[in-house]
Amino acid sequence: MTVWGRFDPEENPVVSTGQKIGQGEGDPREPVAAPLSNAQALGIRQVIDQDGKPTGNLPDPGLSKDDCLMFYRVMTLLRAIDQRGWTLQRSGRIAFWIPICGQEAVQVGATHAMDREDWIFRAHREMAPWIMRGEPLDLMFAQFFGAEAEPQRGRRLPCLIGSRKIKLVSSSTQVGAYIPHGAGAGWAAKLMGSDEVVLSFFGDGATSRGEFHSAMNFAGIHKPQVVFVCVNNGWAVTTPLDRQTAQEDFAAKGAAYGLPNLRVDGNDPLAVYAVVKEARDRAKAEGPTLIEAITYRLGFHTSSDNPDLYRKKDECDDWARWDPIVRMRRYLEHAGWWTEADEAELAERQAAEIQDAVERAEKMPVPGPTSQFDDLYEDSNWMLEEQKARLLRDLGDGA
Amino acid sequence: MAKMTVLEALRAAMAYEMARNERVVVLGEDVGTVGGIFRVTSGLQKQFGKDRLIDTPLDEKGIVAHAVGMAMYGMRPIAEIQFAGFIHDAHEQIMFCGTKYRWMTGGEYPVPMVVRAPAFGGIMGGFWHSQSPESYYIHGGGIKIVAPTTPQDAYAFMLAAIRDPDPVLVLEPVPLYRTLSDEVADDGAAAPIGVGEVVRAGADVTAVTYGPIRHDVVGAADDLATERGIEAEVIDLRSLIPYDIDMIVRSVEKTGRLVIIHEASETLGFGAEIAVQVQNRAFGSLEAPIERVCAPDLPYSYRVGDEFFKPNRKRIGAGLVRTAEFAF
Repeated sequence: MTVWGRFDPEENPVVSTGQKIGQGEGDPREPVAAPLSNAQALGIRQVIDQDGKPTGNLPDPGLSKDDCLMFYRVMTLLRAIDQRGWTLQRSGRIAFWIPICGQEAVQVGATHAMDREDWIFRAHREMAPWIMRGEPLDLMFAQFFGAEAEPQRGRRLPCLIGSRKIKLVSSSTQVGAYIPHGAGAGWAAKLMGSDEVVLSFFGDGATSRGEFHSAMNFAGIHKPQVVFVCVNNGWAVTTPLDRQTAQEDFAAKGAAYGLPNLRVDGNDPLAVYAVVKEARDRAKAEGPTLIEAITYRLGFHTSSDNPDLYRKKDECDDWARWDPIVRMRRYLEHAGWWTEADEAELAERQAAEIQDAVERAEKMPVPGPTSQFDDLYEDSNWMLEEQKARLLRDLGDGA
Repeated sequence: MAKMTVLEALRAAMAYEMARNERVVVLGEDVGTVGGIFRVTSGLQKQFGKDRLIDTPLDEKGIVAHAVGMAMYGMRPIAEIQFAGFIHDAHEQIMFCGTKYRWMTGGEYPVPMVVRAPAFGGIMGGFWHSQSPESYYIHGGGIKIVAPTTPQDAYAFMLAAIRDPDPVLVLEPVPLYRTLSDEVADDGAAAPIGVGEVVRAGADVTAVTYGPIRHDVVGAADDLATERGIEAEVIDLRSLIPYDIDMIVRSVEKTGRLVIIHEASETLGFGAEIAVQVQNRAFGSLEAPIERVCAPDLPYSYRVGDEFFKPNRKRIGAGLVRTAEFAF
């Protein structure tokens, strides 16, 4: 049985369906069971089980009703955004999509654990800070459409969002290249005597890159104010964990560099919140922590992927039983904070919000060639100015 | 005014700016305790402390990548690469991260960092210790590159680099570090990045160059004047991105002849770009084909690199004569 909350898998186009689509010869591996059912033995911190009940493994951080409801609203909104983004891509209205589905808990829990003034260096799937720090939904969709009005002026691929207003830094697309950028920022915060801490997200694949090792190595020595969160979603495009590294415990890589490290159930927003909060609060005094958040990419790697070529539906179904949205909803229900009526009202409201955001974003002007010459330098140079002039001259009315 | 070597001038500029701006830090291999393998930052750790003269692990990529993050946060990091030949480990960090963040983020996250790299040949250093890497870093934008070769320029361009709001790569002239000294106006005034200097006036042929061979080019021009009565005008670009195209064109309009001299390999060397820009702007003034004197597309030889591959006075002179005496 598959449980998807209000998102029926048969109607969710983002997840694997078992249908053969696209082209290419695949050799899907045999399903690997989700380790979350064995969390205690594997040293994976966990607050709630599949049914949203306490496991006793890690104490409930005791978040308020409002915070818990906010977690649920943000996670469900992320999934709804994901579905809408996917269909926008599949219908040719945007060029690209990077699914979030299944990874909502880690980004919501970690973001909430940080202070509002803390910086967040995202990888590719972290949309939660945008919502939780109050950037408007239409500007997020504007980024997907490449509108001039979004903070990055239509320059980055859809989903690579960022905004200085909320101290959210969009990643350089090269996986892992941004890990030491977050660490460098957290180091600067320390040197400048700031209380701000940096949250640095990256994936399991990124741990194979030199920058991961650079960042961990420098961090062990120089103790920047940073919390490293490795979002282990099981797959780096088609490459599974055991082809990425022979060390199945990604957190343990921190030990080689003298960093405190731990594993957490990345599909348990309460557990993620608890461990990131603790790491955040001691970052200034004691330095960084490497946290491995174990989750699963239920969807495609990107809109240019076909997971059915390399993994089986049974594996996704197994992970779907650990769907963070379902677990959070059960938790709310056990507390008496959520009803069927609330669910229906929320779904309707979010659908309307997204529809409204899409309609407004799609109407926003996209950049012409001129504005793309801005921002390479604070002050342009004669080379760029001449190139711009020649480009506009030759484009004529097409500009 | 104070008499300084190139190395001392670089140090004086860093010290001046570090005293003025506590957000300036230097990080790199061995830069603190001993002041780097060349001693450029010698004494600065004692003056400013270990948090501002930071000894890092042996990891060029890591040094630059952390400097990128520091700069994004609001500091003014100076990342030292021990030798320019080792900078390529950080190529992606410089060219696809540090120099692109401002643009990628719609101007929201500038990266005001300096990358210092001891460059160029002349110390019998072989392939890795004699590199002229500028072409690899010119392509694609977002960076500024300067190559000062006198004590005064070293001082003033280092100050300019630190104060610049964008990433600046400073190619330092290794062979001149200790061999060239002169009076320096150490008054805290920065040089204008992008402005070259006519270092020898002449009306017969224009010689455009940069880096430490500037002094060889002037020497070759002097020889030429004595031996053949040909007066070459020598321009030291000092800045490569942006570079002083107007100064070059003004000179070529006067001489009608242009030779570009650099230590980097010929194919897609900076001379190629200058040649196209000049023929676009001064086509009607040219009286001879534009000539290049540079290194062959070979790794730099330990034993004979300085002697034969790096343009020497003989090769530079030959190029100048050929161009000055060319007739249709």
